Formats: sequence, structure tokens, C-alpha cells
Amino acid sequence: MNAMSLMDPLAVRTAHPPISERSQLMSLREEALDTARMRILLLVALFVFIAFLGLMRIVYLGSSDRAYAATTLEEALLPARGEITDRNGVPLARMFPAYSLWFNPDAMGDGGAPLVNSPAYVAAGLKAIFPDMDQAKIEARLASGKAGYLRRRVLPEEANRVQELGELALEMPQEPDRHYPQGSMAAHVLGHVAADGHGRVGMEQVLDERLRDPALRGTPVALSIDMRVQGALEDELERGMKLNDAMGAAGIVLDVDTGEVLALASLPEFNPNKIDQEGASNMFNRVTNQVYELGSTFKPLTVAAAIDAGVVKDFGRRWDAKTVHIGKSRLRDSHSYGETLNVAQTLIHSSNTVTARIADELGAERLRRTMMDLGMHERPYIELPARGHPIWPGEDWPRIRNMTVSYGHGIAVTPLHLASAYAAMVNGGTWRPATLHKLAPGEAPRGRRVFKESTSSRMRQLLRMISIYGTGRNADAPGYRVGGKTGSAEKPGQGGYRRTSLISTFAAAFPMDRPRYVVVTMLDEPRGTVASSYQRTAAWNAAPIVGRLVPRIGPMLGVRPDERRDVDISDLKPLIPGADK
Amino acid sequence: MSIDQPALNRSRSEPPRGAASSHIRNLRIWWREVDRVLLGLIVLLMIISTIAVAAASPASARRLSTSAERLPDLYFFWKHLAWQALALGVLFGASLMSRETARRFALVLGGGMLFFMFLVPFIGTDINGARRWIDLGLRFQPSEFLKPAFAIALAWVFSWRMRDPNLPVRAVSLALTGVVVFLLALQPNFGEAVLFAGVWAVLVMLSGLSFARIGSLLGAGAALITATYFIYDNARHRIDSFLGGGTAFDQVDLAERTLLAGGWTGTGFWLGLKKMRLPEAHTDYIFSVIGEEFGLLACALILCLYLALAARVLMRMIDEDDLFTMLAGSGLTALIVGQAFINMLVNLRLFPSKGMTLPLVSYGGSSTIAMGLMVGLLLAITRRNPFLKRRTAGLAQLMGLGDEPARGRASIRGSAS
Repeated sequence: MNAMSLMDPLAVRTAHPPISERSQLMSLREEALDTARMRILLLVALFVFIAFLGLMRIVYLGSSDRAYAATTLEEALLPARGEITDRNGVPLARMFPAYSLWFNPDAMGDGGAPLVNSPAYVAAGLKAIFPDMDQAKIEARLASGKAGYLRRRVLPEEANRVQELGELALEMPQEPDRHYPQGSMAAHVLGHVAADGHGRVGMEQVLDERLRDPALRGTPVALSIDMRVQGALEDELERGMKLNDAMGAAGIVLDVDTGEVLALASLPEFNPNKIDQEGASNMFNRVTNQVYELGSTFKPLTVAAAIDAGVVKDFGRRWDAKTVHIGKSRLRDSHSYGETLNVAQTLIHSSNTVTARIADELGAERLRRTMMDLGMHERPYIELPARGHPIWPGEDWPRIRNMTVSYGHGIAVTPLHLASAYAAMVNGGTWRPATLHKLAPGEAPRGRRVFKESTSSRMRQLLRMISIYGTGRNADAPGYRVGGKTGSAEKPGQGGYRRTSLISTFAAAFPMDRPRYVVVTMLDEPRGTVASSYQRTAAWNAAPIVGRLVPRIGPMLGVRPDERRDVDISDLKPLIPGADK
Repeated sequence: MSIDQPALNRSRSEPPRGAASSHIRNLRIWWREVDRVLLGLIVLLMIISTIAVAAASPASARRLSTSAERLPDLYFFWKHLAWQALALGVLFGASLMSRETARRFALVLGGGMLFFMFLVPFIGTDINGARRWIDLGLRFQPSEFLKPAFAIALAWVFSWRMRDPNLPVRAVSLALTGVVVFLLALQPNFGEAVLFAGVWAVLVMLSGLSFARIGSLLGAGAALITATYFIYDNARHRIDSFLGGGTAFDQVDLAERTLLAGGWTGTGFWLGLKKMRLPEAHTDYIFSVIGEEFGLLACALILCLYLALAARVLMRMIDEDDLFTMLAGSGLTALIVGQAFINMLVNLRLFPSKGMTLPLVSYGGSSTIAMGLMVGLLLAITRRNPFLKRRTAGLAQLMGLGDEPARGRASIRGSAS
């Protein structure tokens, strides 16, 4: 047996080379082994070097002050979820270090009874602190010895009093809690944070990722909402709703040039601080999610389309105002204002028949195109997750459908659709998507042109005339140059429209000489009351809301009342009989 | 007589009297031959692992709980205990093998796992956007089991040179490595790919590649990493965040906060707070959890344990005079300790985040078994008859400092020389 086979058993199987080659192979092997040994030493050195680096790093980290810097004040102050503010920095949603009341039966740690006193005694003590507590239920809970929350939110002074009960098992862990300092204000915009820590309904849901991102949540997110305007809007809507005994109300204030939503309210509201059964049923957003047939507020849109298309060139032209007969259907006006009306009178008196005839002359395709340009055929453009699909009449409109759409029937959209369309109508003709994000100057989207500049200018005159001479008089806040159109549509019910339940809307913009804001207010099923002179129509309930709201929000938004300024309507004035008086 | 048949004079023990006694005899031989210091280091690391996973388990269990299912705090601890018990069994079983059996076993295992690696793109399971797992009732990563087999197979290929210096061992080994790395890059699993390429680099260096070539190899490695940087978004993000300090509150940053939160001596067992916010607390960042709860001194100790493991095996390998054993032992050590060092350096922010676990310590599921197999094979490879005293060249002689060594280093093979 030779050395080679000792070293490598496999070598035995190979053919034996000649002696000289064998000795050469031997020396080669010795060389290879020696090299490998040297290289293993190198490898050891490498590992020692890396380990040395690691150890030096540990020494460096341990003796540096980075260990203390690991808990910085900045980090301690970093909220668990980012703040939401309005456009002026007023906090709308913030984290709040709240206490909760937790029953920990093992707190005593001796395996005996979890409480010092009897469950009945402790329950009575808790009842004295929290009068709304169910004493019997709490007593049963304490007696059962099962851990769990007794109460999710405890105020600091209540926490002190619970402490005084002297029960170790009643623990009050600090839990960061989402707090909405403005209460139910703008609840539909904000939404709330559910128990799983994720936002629901409003911007809390939309911004969820951004608000939870540790790198970003230190900086608050500013919404386009102006809390002062929001407060005024909600106040006036609530007042209008109560005065008219309405089921609900909705309102929106929109910047016509940028599409920013200054205020958005859907009543009744919910309280995001305390979500209960009733609150959950009110989370439905009437402004962006519910679609309505908005009625006569569509007439200015039809007229604008007609002016834009050149169908209405001569404002003195008188249109037939008699009942329209299409097949078996008849389209009538609620009141008669004479055999014929001109365009200005049509809008002032809100004539269905003339609007239908204008639309008929305009043609279904051109009206349909304008409505699509205004985004009426798709869900409204806004960040909120709850956006309603319009009821859109589809592709080929029969003649009768064209006529009903012209005065806002047979098409159902959200109030937000209407507000965006009105903004496009008065701002020079450019439609822009609505947004709830605060936009810096110059950030406004370019939008798309729907109407010509000249059309928009005419519409400002006409809208202003409606609120000077027509159904919008109750909205005409002195000095604010409000212009707008009423709409009172019957709600569809079983077997046709219900004459008694209305959706009354007022869509307005101000100041009409250089429109800045669109305001849309809507009441759901208002009843005739003393306040509205026993009327149900928008002129008597929705329009006065705008009339009271604009003087409140105008100064906040930089619009000063000025009796001497107004849009120039001198060329259209002679068309209105008795306007000069 | 050969090296895998210990030259121990067994006539002293009683003649075989049946299966049971032969098992006992085998065990006694195993106990005499196995590297007990290495075994002790491994067992010590596994005990540390049990404690560390117990510390990290609540953090990961709470993080991975959903509203539908709430994991108990020690969920990962109990599972880890079970895996560790299995891994110990595998470790023991593998270390019972003789060197020769270990080599054959590794080649068969390597072939099988390579086959599964080819199947992964087709029947693999996706987890977190990477397709690395195969589900055959039990879910496992073929690449984890391929690791030990790969090191041994490469060592075997390189040792062909001993029979015929003209065999193209480098080309064969490079092709083998290329295939494995390519399959890993497909998954994608760059951490593992780097490890496989690294073990090849170590073995090609040990097999006597000239320093000029090693230099160009390092250059090629640097070029490859640069290329990955530009081609793969994932790699770029990790390297960017490493170089640029990263955004606050990314994983690495959270890991450092956790690591440092305990100071030199730690907050104490189960008293850490920062770990709760750390993703992958029980796997990639367990070193940071150890830092928080047991202090930086414990971290330094663990680092030294890995170094001791490497030094122990490698210094013993210098004494070997079989190239295959030297290469296989060094390759396996490089794999284990290399991965451990990379993981620890990531935790210490000296290395970009790699997505690598701390071998033997991290929670790993089926990869704990793979790790048990790996150290078991290492123990098998490093088994040595303690009665065979070799008088090899001392370190001083190797470096040319000492006296000229006597011809015929091992006393038992003096006759042939």
C-alpha cells in the first residue's frame, strides 16, 4: 500500500502513471495542499478582520450617544397617525393620548380573587363615575373574571377617580385615539378611523396610507376645506332643514377657478368621535353619493349649450310657451306667463316648455355632448370613495328625452355634478374636477373647455337676472351679486312622480361680475311651513339658505359686499317687462 | 487502510454481538471522532437561538396577527422548539455518517435539490412576490437544502485535481455555480445567490488560484454588483438606502433603534419595547432583538462565537492532508459563518440589507432543518480519528520561518516515502 492511496482512495482506481510522472504528481499534490493551507490561513484572517470590524462597530455604537438618540423627542411627538387640517391649518383630526378602562383579572398576581372588594361594590363605584354604565352588566363582567375592555374612552379626571377605587385589576392603558376637535363638522369629508386602525368613509380612508406612513405622518395634511365656511354652511343648512321640516339637506361651496371644495355638508351628520347605529346610518353622503333629478337647475345649462351652439343668437326672439305635445306626452309649465317668452324670461320664470323647445331646436346630440363634457355621464370627480353613478339616459336620446333632460328630468346626478357644471358655466367655460386637497397657487388643473368665454359671460348676466327678477330673489344677498337658479323636482315614486315630495335645489355663484365661488344647497323633501309661506319650492326654502349663507362666508373668502358693483345687464334689461321700475 | 476507515484498533472492543451492540459501538466511535468543541459551539448557538426566538416571538406574533386570527405571543417560540428538536435529530443523524458517506449523500441530495430548483419556476409557491418554495405537503426552499450539498459537491470537483491535474475543474465548478446562481436570480433571491457565488469564490481561492486572478475575480464581482444595482430595482433601493442613510423608519433604521435601545447590558428578557415595531423580528433582525433585550455585550459574544466556530474548523482543516476534506470543511464553514457575518453586519448597518437570516439562531421553519443538516455534514466531514496523530508542518514552517520540515509529515505514511 503506498502513500498515494493513503491520501486519496479514489486514486487507486486510476491507471498507474509512469514513475517520473507519479513523482511529479506527488509534488504537485504537496504543492496544492500547501497552497490550500496558506489560503485557509488567509480565510481565517479575513474572518478575523470582519469580526474585528463588527466588534469595533459594536463598541462604537455602544459608546456613542446614538443609543439615547434612538428615542428622540421628535419620535415621541410623532403621532401614530398623521393630522388632518383645513386649508388654514385648523386641526380637523388629530391623535389624542386617551385612556381606556381594561379589566385585568391577573393583575394581583397571586392567583386569588381578581378584585379587592366585591364585584358589586366595584361596579357601584364605576357606576358613580360613569353614570351611563350598565351596573348589572359590569358586575357580571367583573365576577366572570374574563379580561377585556370595560370602556374604550376615559377622561383624565375619570381616570383619577377610577384610580381612587384602589383596584389593581382596573387598568387604564394609554391608547392613542383619533379625535375630531370639530365634532361632527365636515364628518362626511373626514370619515372616521375604525377599530382596526384604518380610515373609513372620507379622507381618512383616501389618505390612509399617507397618514400611517411614519416618514410622512409628521406633517399634517391640509384639505381644501375652510372650517369657517364649513361651519356657516352646516349652520344654515341645518336651520333651513329644520324650518322646512326636511328629511335631509346637502350643500357644497366650490372654488370656480380651481375646483377646490371649500365646504361640503350632508345632513343629518354623524359624529366621527362616537360611531353608533344612528351615526352609521347617516354616513351616506348626499353630495357625492346620492343622485337626484335636479330639475330646473339644468335649464341654464341647456340655455348655455344653445347659446354656445348658436341656436340662441337673438335674445329678443320670442319662443312659443304653450304646452308641448309629443306623442301622448304633454309638457306643461306650472304657471302660465303668457303665450310667448324670450330666453331671459324663460329662465326668470323657469319655463319648462320654452326650455324644451330650445333643446328641441338644439338637438339631442348637441345637448348630450355638452352634458358629457360637463361629466354628467360618469361618477363625480372627487377623492372621496363614496361617489354615486349618475342615471344617464344612454346613447340615442329620443326627442322627448332630450326635452326632459333640458329641464333636469330623466337624468339623475349628484349635487356635486351640478356644482362643477355651474363652475364651468360661470368661470369662462372651463370644467375642472373637484378636489378636497388644498392646491397651491398655479397647481389648479388645466381642465377642459365646455363653453365659450362669450357664452359664460352671457350666462353670468342671465343667472344674475334670475336672482334679481325671478325665482332666485330670496338668494339675492345685498351687495354680493349672487346669481343662481332654483330647481324643484318631484321625487320619483311608485307609478310616476310624487307631487308632494320634492327635491328643492338652489345652484348659485357669486359675485356675478367676477364669479369666485359656486354654492349649491339642496333640501330633501321639504314641507310647506310658516317659514316658507307654506311653499315647497326651492324659491322659498333652498334659495333663502344661500341668501343667508353668502353674507356669512363672503367676507371670510375675500368677497366684500359692494352695492355699486354688479355684472352689466343693461343690454338684457329691456327684455324684461317692468324691470326698470 | 484509508481515511474513512478509522485506524483505531477496534480489536480492543468486544466482537460484534448483534445490531444493538454495533449501534452502541458506532456511537462510541462517533463520540471519539467528532469535533466536540465544534459540537459544543453549535449546541450553544442553538440554545441562544431558543432564548432569542422566545424574546422575538411576541413582536412577530402581534405583527402578523390579523383581526380574524390572533396569534398567541409565543406562537413562534413553540413552533421553533419543534423545528429545533427535528433539526437536532437531523444534525445528529448526518454527523453519524462517515466522510465518504457524507460526500455521496451530499451529491445525491444536491442532484435532487437542483432538480427541484428547476421545478420552482413551474410548481413553486409565491410568498411576498418571490417564488422560492416548493410545497410537497411540507413547504421548503430547495436552495436551503442545496447549500450544504453544493459546498461539498464543489469541494469534490476541485479535489479531482488530485488525480489528474489536467481536469478542467474550474470550468466545471464555474458552470455548476452559474446554473445555481441563475436559478436563484430568477426567483429572485439575491442573498442566496451571493452566498453560492461566495462559496465558489472561497473554494477557487483555496484551490490555488493565482492572486492576479483573484484580483480580477474581485473586480468582476464588483462589476456584477454594479450591474445588479442598475438592473434590479430591489437591489438598487437597498443599496441606495444603505449609502444614503435611508429614510427614517425603514427596516434598517428600526433595527438599529432596536439594537441600541438596550445599551450595553440590555433591557432584560421580554422587557424590550422597540422590537414590537420591528418587522421580521424573529428572522432577519433577531440580532437586533438580542441587542435590545440582552445588550450589546451579548451581541459581541455571539459575534465571537461565530468567529470561534470558523477559527476552530479552519485551523483544524490546516492539519488535514486530504484536499477534499479541507475544501469541504472550509466551504461549509464559509457558508455558515459568512451568512452569519453578513446578517450581523446588516444589523450593525455596515452592510446593505440582504434579507438573510442569522444561521442557527433565527427562526426558520424548514430552513432550521436545512441548517441542522448543514452543521451535521460539517461535523461528519471534520470527524477525525484522535489516535491518528499527524505531525504536519507547523504554521511557522508553512510561512517559511521555521526549520525545514522532515519529509513525510504524517508518521503513518513514512514507509512509502
